[in-house]
Amino acid sequence: MRIALGILGVLGAIFAPPWILLLIMSFLAFRYPAWEVLLIGLLIDLLWLPSGPLTQSLPLFTIVALVLVWGFEPLRSEFLISRR
Amino acid sequence: MNTQFSYHSLRGSGSRKGRRLIVATIIVILVLAIDGLSGGGIRTLVRAASARVWGAGSQAFSAISGSGFLSTRRALLGENEGLKQEVARLQAHAAALEVLQSENASLRRIVRLAEAGPGITTPIISSSRSSPYGTFMVGAGSKEGVVVGDLVVMGEGGSGGFVVGRVSEVSKHLSLATQIFAPNASTEATIRGASVILEGQGGGNARAEVPRAFSVSPGDVVLSARFRGRAIGVVGSVSDDPSSAYKNVYIGLPVGLDALQFVYVVSADR
Repeated sequence: MRIALGILGVLGAIFAPPWILLLIMSFLAFRYPAWEVLLIGLLIDLLWLPSGPLTQSLPLFTIVALVLVWGFEPLRSEFLISRR
Repeated sequence: MNTQFSYHSLRGSGSRKGRRLIVATIIVILVLAIDGLSGGGIRTLVRAASARVWGAGSQAFSAISGSGFLSTRRALLGENEGLKQEVARLQAHAAALEVLQSENASLRRIVRLAEAGPGITTPIISSSRSSPYGTFMVGAGSKEGVVVGDLVVMGEGGSGGFVVGRVSEVSKHLSLATQIFAPNASTEATIRGASVILEGQGGGNARAEVPRAFSVSPGDVVLSARFRGRAIGVVGSVSDDPSSAYKNVYIGLPVGLDALQFVYVVSADR
């Protein structure tokens, strides 16, 4: 499941609309300690973000990925690891 | 005891995964830093690879949809009936078009004499819906003479056409263009001679507010002085709320960006 979603996320960065990627990234980050969420976020920004000063071109998807991965970490630890 | 052991082993596994996350975070930050320092070296490689994947994917999709593999019998019957009606309609239009074509050919000769504006016809090599930043890739770069700021025009660039984007980044054989109607982008334009501010909504669509008394109707062409007076869209619909002093004008491109295969890149100075 995790591998399939990871591959879907990477391919989705090229083919799918951004909201689908946000769903995939959110699910992965909520369910697993998924480093691939960071990879997907980085890939989206490298592909689509025009280069320029940080004030004009903020790598939003990388930031969202970092927030998802590290923001969901306490939730995952509490609900998905400790309760087993 | 057993439960405790299991708990500890899971905590141990959790900390290993935590370390992986820390390493991944450091790598991501390093990649972004290296890309920034190298002037976009990494993103150029990633985009070139993505263009190949996009090309292979769109070819595969065309082959599958062309074979009718995904069509049901009912859908095909419906499509057949629709196509018959379309043929009848097109035959009627064809006669009228012949007259217009001869007129158009003579006008084009005059236009060519008048401007002779060079440009590059290039394919769109990415999806126009996938980018959260309203960007898309075209298959021409600095080697083909594209520079940052060039206009991406759909239709015949020589005779005006519709500006769909502006080149915002160039590599050797590939450029990244930002849509005129990228989400949250605002553009000054004129409709029937009146100045309006268009708010981009992505996907080749924009919205503007005009005073209630201002006369605007679907089909009106939207021009922009920022793009040397070229057309940037067509009024699609007008929403008139009697309780408001303004009405909303929805603007789009005559052909959706998704349907475009080729665009024309022209210099912004011409």
